[in-house]
Amino acid sequence: MLSQQAEIVKEFLALRQEWEREVAGASIVAEKTSHPAYQKIVDMGTAVIPLLLRELELRPNHWFAALRAITGANPIQPEQRGRTKQMAESWLKWGKENGYEW
Amino acid sequence: MSRIDSWIGTYCPNLSPGSYQVTSSATSDYNCIAWAAQSDDCWWDPTDPDQYWPDEVSRKLTLEAFIEAYQTLGYVPCNSVQYEPGFQKVAIYTKPNGEPDGEPTHVARQLPSGRWTSKMGSLEDIEHEVDALRGFYYGAVAQILKQFVSPSAD
Repeated sequence: MLSQQAEIVKEFLALRQEWEREVAGASIVAEKTSHPAYQKIVDMGTAVIPLLLRELELRPNHWFAALRAITGANPIQPEQRGRTKQMAESWLKWGKENGYEW
Repeated sequence: MSRIDSWIGTYCPNLSPGSYQVTSSATSDYNCIAWAAQSDDCWWDPTDPDQYWPDEVSRKLTLEAFIEAYQTLGYVPCNSVQYEPGFQKVAIYTKPNGEPDGEPTHVARQLPSGRWTSKMGSLEDIEHEVDALRGFYYGAVAQILKQFVSPSAD
C-alpha cells in the first residue's frame, strides 16, 4: 500500500515537473490545462487530490481545473475569479471540510 | 541558467540573451493580459470560468473578444507600434503569424521608453522589443490598441 502511494507521488511529481517546464510561459489557461501531462494528472483521479491541495498550499498554480474535473466541485466564489491565492484558499478550505489531509 | 532564461531559450528563439531584462519575480497571481491592463493581482482569461474576464465581453479566445476586453478600459485600435506621447499602447499577439482569425496568445504593454513589458505566463515580467516575441509559440502581433492617458504620464 505504501509503495503504491509512493508510485502515485512519484508519477505526479514527474508529470507536474514536465507540465510546469513546458507551459510556464503560457498565459491562456486552456493551453496549460490541455497539456498531456496535465491531462494525465487529471486521469489519475481522486488519488491526486491531496497532492493537488498540497501544491495549492505551497505554491498556488493552475490546478483549479484539475480539481474541478476530478471532484465535480467548485468552491470558488464569483468575486474570487482570477485571484489565484484566494482561489487556492477556497480549495484548501474545501479539502479540509471534505476530510482530505495533505 | 534561470528558469525564465531556459524557457525563453526554448520557446522564444528571436528573444536573444541580453535583448531582454527580467523586471519582476515569478508569480501565478497575474498574467500578460492583466499586466497589459496594469493589473498585477488578477489572472485575466476567457477560457477558464474561474479566471477574471470583463462581464460584458464574450468568453471566447478570439482577437475580437480581446479587443473588446481592452475597449472596456478605453483602448481603441490603432496601426502603429511607435510610441506616441500621451498614449498607452498594448499589442495583442495571435498565432499563427499574427493572423486576425488566429488565437490570441499574448499581450504586451508599451513603456514610455518605447520598449514593451510582458508578463511571461506564470514566469516573470520582462522588458523587450515588440517584435522579439515573434515565433512559433506566441505567433506575432495582430493588433495594436491605444488609450489616451495624459501628456504628464510621459
